[in-house]
Amino acid sequence: MDTITKNQLSAMLLITDAFTLFCFRGHICLITATGFLCGTVLQFIMALPLVKLCRNGGSVEKCGKIVQSIYLLYLLLWGGMLFSMLWNASDVIYIPYENSNGIWGKLLIAGLIAIVCLYSSSTGIKAVSRSSVIAAAVGTICLLIVTISAIFSSEWENILRTENSDGFFNEISRGFVLSGGLGSFAVLISFTKGDALKNTIYYFSGKIILTAIVTFSSILVAGGIMKITEFPVVTAAQLSQPFPVQRIDSLFLIIFSVFAVFSIAVQSLSAAGLLMRIFPKFKHFRTTSVLVLMIGSAFLFSGENNYNILYAITVAFILLVIPSAVLLKRSIKK
Amino acid sequence: MTIIPDLKLNIKKIKEISGGSSDVLINEFVTGNIHCALLCCEGMLSTATITELVLEPITNIDAKKDSHELFHYIQNYLLLSVDRPEAKNYDSLFRLINSGFAVLIADGINKALAFGVQGYAVRSISEPSGEGNIMGSHEGFVETVRTNMSLIRRRIKSPELVLELFIKGEKSRTDLCLCYMKDRVPPELLKKIHKSLDNIQLETILTTGYIKPFVESNNFELFSSTGTTERPDVLCSKLIEGRVALLIDGVPFSIVIPKLFCENFQTLDDYAFQPYYSTFIRWIKYAAFLISVLLPAVYAAIVIYHPELLNSTLLMLLVDAEQKAPLSIVTESFFVLLMYEIIREAGIRLPKPVGGAVSIVSGLIIGDSAVDSGLISTPLLTMSALAVISGFVIPELNDTVTILRLSFLIAGGIFGLFGISILACAVLVNICSTEDYGFPYTAPLSPFKSAGMDDTAVRAGIQKMQSRNFTVEEYHE
Repeated sequence: MDTITKNQLSAMLLITDAFTLFCFRGHICLITATGFLCGTVLQFIMALPLVKLCRNGGSVEKCGKIVQSIYLLYLLLWGGMLFSMLWNASDVIYIPYENSNGIWGKLLIAGLIAIVCLYSSSTGIKAVSRSSVIAAAVGTICLLIVTISAIFSSEWENILRTENSDGFFNEISRGFVLSGGLGSFAVLISFTKGDALKNTIYYFSGKIILTAIVTFSSILVAGGIMKITEFPVVTAAQLSQPFPVQRIDSLFLIIFSVFAVFSIAVQSLSAAGLLMRIFPKFKHFRTTSVLVLMIGSAFLFSGENNYNILYAITVAFILLVIPSAVLLKRSIKK
Repeated sequence: MTIIPDLKLNIKKIKEISGGSSDVLINEFVTGNIHCALLCCEGMLSTATITELVLEPITNIDAKKDSHELFHYIQNYLLLSVDRPEAKNYDSLFRLINSGFAVLIADGINKALAFGVQGYAVRSISEPSGEGNIMGSHEGFVETVRTNMSLIRRRIKSPELVLELFIKGEKSRTDLCLCYMKDRVPPELLKKIHKSLDNIQLETILTTGYIKPFVESNNFELFSSTGTTERPDVLCSKLIEGRVALLIDGVPFSIVIPKLFCENFQTLDDYAFQPYYSTFIRWIKYAAFLISVLLPAVYAAIVIYHPELLNSTLLMLLVDAEQKAPLSIVTESFFVLLMYEIIREAGIRLPKPVGGAVSIVSGLIIGDSAVDSGLISTPLLTMSALAVISGFVIPELNDTVTILRLSFLIAGGIFGLFGISILACAVLVNICSTEDYGFPYTAPLSPFKSAGMDDTAVRAGIQKMQSRNFTVEEYHE
């Protein structure tokens, strides 16, 4: 069986998380950032039944077809959400063809990413996990440059601006939803070598650091214009320029493109794996079908604000309810 | 078919199989009162050796009862050569004749005795043409497999070194030699390679490219997961690391299995210089690889779509130069890179004296006049030349780098840095999916092995590297 390491698992999931943060719409303030971090902690706590299930030798792959179908549906919807995020965020990121050709340009860009995702997913979990580590390393370097640049453009009084907050609990809910990639986490954790709990702690620690860096640097740089900013992280990156006569916006474009490819590839890879389990006779065009369904489901989210309580309940259902139910069923059987 | 005991019928059969080929020489004679024939292939053996070591003693044998006694006497009392195989059928008989052996057949016996007296013309050992080196040995492999085996044996005198000779190729009957250190090679790797070699169904084997598809995976791989080297010292270092090598008779290169991406940037000289200098050179090579693949594409992408990345002085300089050029940047770059490939191919195929003339015509006349006439801008020509020269640093990757350079140029020209990023993702996934016999091509970078960084990110001291007895098994997944 193909197995991955905790570094590879974390790289794949953190890329998805970073991409979700880049595409985050709405305002970010100190309460939001704190809410995001609390949301992540909440996710970790909710992931514990799943971790216990893995430690007892269980996994999503070993559950019945109904459970697998629920996870598949979730992965397809989240993949669609990622395409939708890409669609919306590409408006504010300068992608040459997209910006000059309207809807067709957007379709072309989405199509290109889908083709690369299709190829990536078809190579299997090992190839994607190995390349995710390298992509994450390159992304970290680029992100560090952007973050260091952000320090020079920071306005520390922005931290105290809280007038945009929807309240702490709403922010926790928004932060909680930020990790739709947890569907992949549920599928991939059983493929990971080593102790499931340690791997989970490792991933969530990375996620907390990433969320803290991205959200706080966004507040510091773009806090003053947060009211008129649709994509605060993108705006913060655009405002963070280390040199007076040169701009490094394109550096962010590189991270954005690479992370878009890998985050969608991870979802399609996980979904294709589940599809194979549910329909073993469906051998060809699994990944293609998954990507087509994801693009189709992207239209469901088009233009929507994706961070509401409904999505939070869905994430909780995937992360907490199903693994707990499986664990309960197992203990009753015993 | 087994050898016919009747000499006359036997010779008739041999002539029939060889089709009366002029180079198959059949010398009939009588020794020990038995009618015999000595068979050989003209030009494949040493006349001096056969005369002195075989003909002289073999024609002075006392009378024997029958041919069995004669063969017994020759085998046990005369040491005519060190290599004395027997042939029991025509297949092995012809293989021996065509390999430069002198083969003795006699009346009344259904086998043949062969004497290793090979003496065909061979190229002498010379400096490798493709793998330059300053501090190491200047010996390179030659076309003769047995000479190459001796070059390896001279460097590793350990009995653990195994050199397995076998034959492949239905028509060519080419000698192949599998080399490995039996105490270092992963047993599973050896087993799988044996299995792969068993599947070889070829008529001829004329170069390493005939064998590679059988020992590599069938997936589409941009980078070859098996290496080649023409240096015996490099090969020995690979064998010590538990790799397996394959020598092919008639080819002055050996195949090394498995190969890792980072090995493209390692040369023997790295281990001759001070570690800090070798580390510096290694990073230069990594940079050269990236420049070679990406520079023309990044230049086109920045100038066309992302000029904000440049400072104003540089931007004005480039705008000024590009405004005078009649073609678009992508067309210009494509034209320059294609011209380079044409000139390079011409330089390789033409005789050496004419090849020099090609360099002068291309470099001085075409290059200079293209810039002077304004057909190509000077900055673009500089970028293209830099990319091409950087590619020379890693010659083994030249074929892949050429295709990637052009692909990235198209991607960067159409979609800017977004196109380059997307294509880079696809290439990255392809490299990471390259894996043969369970050895990931991208190890030790991904999957990350910190111990492997000693000879990847830096070049640690020899004592440190040799003390840990590294074998390639560490990278197996």
